[in-house]
Amino acid sequence: MSDVIGVARPRVDAPDKVTGATRYAADGYVHGLLHARLVLATEAHALIRGIEREAALAVPGVVAVLSAGDLPITSSDSDRTAEPLAREEVVFAGQPVVVVVAESEAAAEDGAEAVVVEYEALDAVVDVEQAMQPGTALARRVEEAGDGGDLESIHAGVDEGQDADEEEQLSANVVGRVTRGSGDVPAALEASDAVVSGTFRTPWVYQAYIEPQVCTAWLEPDGSLVVSTSTQGSFVTRGELARAFDLPLDRIRVVAEPLGGAFGGKFALVEPLAAGAALVLRRPVRLVLTRAEDFQATNPASAQVTHLRIGGRRDGTLTGIEARMVVDRGSNAGWGVEGITSLLVAGPYRWEAHDLRGYGVQTNRFTFGAYRGPGAPTAAFALESLLDELAAELEVDPLELRLRNAVVQGDVGVSGSPFPVIGAVEVLERIREHPLWQERASLPEGEGVGVAAGYWPGGTEPAAAVCRVDKDGTMTVVTSAVDMSGVSTGFAAIAAAAFGLPPEKVRVVSADTASGPYAGASGGSKVTYTVGAAVLRAAGAAREKLLAAASEELEIAPGDLEVVDGVVRAVGAPDRSITVEEIAGKALRFGGRYEPIEGHGGSAQVRGAPSVSAHLAHVRVDRDTGEVELLRMAIAQDVGRAINPALVEGQMRGGTTQGIGWALFEELTHDENGQLETGSFLDYAIPVAERVPEIDTLIVEVPAPDGPFGAKGIGEAPVVPAAAAIANAVDAAAGVRLRELPMTPPRVWAALQRAGSSAEPNID
Amino acid sequence: MARPESALAGNPAHRAVPEALSLVVNGERRSLEVEARTLLVHALRDSLGLTGTHVGCDTSQCGACTVLLDGAAVKSCTVLALQADGAEVTTIEGFATDGALHPIQRAFVEHHGLQCGFCTPGMILAAADLLARDPEPSDETIRRALRGNLCRCTGYQPIVEAIRAAAGEAA
Repeated sequence: MSDVIGVARPRVDAPDKVTGATRYAADGYVHGLLHARLVLATEAHALIRGIEREAALAVPGVVAVLSAGDLPITSSDSDRTAEPLAREEVVFAGQPVVVVVAESEAAAEDGAEAVVVEYEALDAVVDVEQAMQPGTALARRVEEAGDGGDLESIHAGVDEGQDADEEEQLSANVVGRVTRGSGDVPAALEASDAVVSGTFRTPWVYQAYIEPQVCTAWLEPDGSLVVSTSTQGSFVTRGELARAFDLPLDRIRVVAEPLGGAFGGKFALVEPLAAGAALVLRRPVRLVLTRAEDFQATNPASAQVTHLRIGGRRDGTLTGIEARMVVDRGSNAGWGVEGITSLLVAGPYRWEAHDLRGYGVQTNRFTFGAYRGPGAPTAAFALESLLDELAAELEVDPLELRLRNAVVQGDVGVSGSPFPVIGAVEVLERIREHPLWQERASLPEGEGVGVAAGYWPGGTEPAAAVCRVDKDGTMTVVTSAVDMSGVSTGFAAIAAAAFGLPPEKVRVVSADTASGPYAGASGGSKVTYTVGAAVLRAAGAAREKLLAAASEELEIAPGDLEVVDGVVRAVGAPDRSITVEEIAGKALRFGGRYEPIEGHGGSAQVRGAPSVSAHLAHVRVDRDTGEVELLRMAIAQDVGRAINPALVEGQMRGGTTQGIGWALFEELTHDENGQLETGSFLDYAIPVAERVPEIDTLIVEVPAPDGPFGAKGIGEAPVVPAAAAIANAVDAAAGVRLRELPMTPPRVWAALQRAGSSAEPNID
Repeated sequence: MARPESALAGNPAHRAVPEALSLVVNGERRSLEVEARTLLVHALRDSLGLTGTHVGCDTSQCGACTVLLDGAAVKSCTVLALQADGAEVTTIEGFATDGALHPIQRAFVEHHGLQCGFCTPGMILAAADLLARDPEPSDETIRRALRGNLCRCTGYQPIVEAIRAAAGEAA
């Protein structure tokens, strides 16, 4: 129905959110609630020699002081779910060591301050490249056991490459190695007209969801565990808790509450702490991280060092690409982004030969976690910077260079598989038309426009949905998808269009793990593509029930009926009709003769649906201060089909803005002892309204063959090339090439000095 | 390790002495007892159940806890509850009148000025403060007025558009 799909409508959750009626995970009233507070490690690497609890236990209101051995965890894995409190070895500053549980927040806080942990300090491993060298200190001394459970696979669904050959001698800190190779790269580079190379550095970056991590857990009278939490995935959280505590799945019910932002960061970090305490104390326990705890103790995006070399010919053909990508995983032994980043560093382009290597390295910094397009902005920053340099060397227009090599369906990527339908050419052609690009030659001195492109492969996971029509003729759509980006509003439109109701008559419910149909976590840009497809089929199945009943009522064959705005009518004879409400009334009653108007639908997508985005950035560089002022940005993105263009534009702008944070502001830094230096919003700058320009959005629609109405996942692509576009704009404006993010005034100023341009400070 | 019963007598140094507090919240007089250290945001959330006021940071940066205190926007994490004694407080729950959304709330809905919604109550009340002082602000003024309110989802543009639209409606 063209009046539903492709039409901008307000979010279904907007009225509750503007009135304060939405109950987030910290908001629900729970009888007899206990409050938890954490004691975080003050050392980056140490052995725990003792924990003094008596003073804390003496604080009125303190109920318990729990350390690792007190939690009923049976798994010996050393990931954050199975080891929510450090056992004998602390592996990063800020790692939770003790949880204090009390009758009030204040008592828990007083108790936590009274706990004394005695450490034996060990060498902190903080330099990721140093950490790779054989013979260097190890970031974790105690033997690893097991892997990271299910969390590894949920983000992108991309292939992880082949395991590396073992010829290179590396430290045991290197816990992940991936190589992707094809063709003769040295020969390809040798035969190139130009070869450019560089080393690119990006820091640890924090997801900075505005709602800190929070979880409440309690036991039902039958002893089963209920977890009410701010998470991206209810089923994955249930599975993780079952693994940690060795509980049957049906003894755990996970309720995913409305999410106050997550961006990849909310996966089973706080749940084991609240659940563990509740299982010990048999009372409800809530853990709401303070922002300081959230900065220190969660799981930001990896720092990364990328050594990259690419070549091209004067006719604008890309030849060879060679990458060595070092990913700082912090304490995360289970998974890292070296697999994804070494795939995405090739970009949406054809190469004649490639040799791409990724290394995941343990250090004593944080625990790595996912952040919107994990591994993608870092890869695009390196590649798209060098593409501009290569274009200059080859004397080819940088956008034309990208267009000439952009992949199309069937091109074999560095994954070894052919690309499915992909809108790279369409997106680049669209961004080329934007006035910022067309008029870039006539800018004032000190200003410049940069372009960059990138893509996200798009995840897949089987999913199911249920659509149920009530007696009042309204429909309830039930899924277990967590609404991270507005998917519920999209589901309402999909169901309304497929069934034949106005979207106002469709409500969407996110069910818990006890009652909902299956859905994977919201991550990897897959929810609309997979769960949305299930909703489409569920609504179609419900429609069949509706038409079967209507056919009997109207004595017209189902194939001759249509459903328009809640009315079933004969095609070509609209006065022969019956409302959905009337049919539901005849079905849902004692002695009724029709099956309930309900449908179940599932999807199992086997092809990914990559989304390509391209950005333009217009900047002004202040040569005296090194400050980069962002004047405007534009983004073109292939979204398959925009179910709700307003929400799509929201993702495009939001992702672009996070890319602005990568480019100009955000950096988690540690000192040489592994102590976090930027652990608050005072020290860690995320973009504020004043520093974000107008962002023009250009929606490109290349339908995804398997997506609902052609839609695909779109949340991650917008962040991918944003920082690279800004870096290219800085070069266009000031003639300096920044190879380290963020491009803060000191870094830009230093680069300007090195370039020898405007070296004389203005002193009058 | 559970707490031994003998410790229940407690340390007097930690004993919380409640103090009486009386204020008008969303037009209704409320009397309650709080510890002296209780922040206004916690009194609103925990004692009065007004959970539309959110806690996003510990350092007064994010603005998610913004409320109107005697008509002016304040970060309720930066005010002791006792400092609000005798004052009038408006939270997001009291911002709609007679069951109808306030024009700023309606503009946020219609202009897609929210995604996750966690910053939204603070954004709306910060906008109310701005429009009370400057009924026709420029975009630049709006963006400057929001410097104490962080949003991680939207990129701010639809928030600015919503506030501009609400200003136009009121003007």
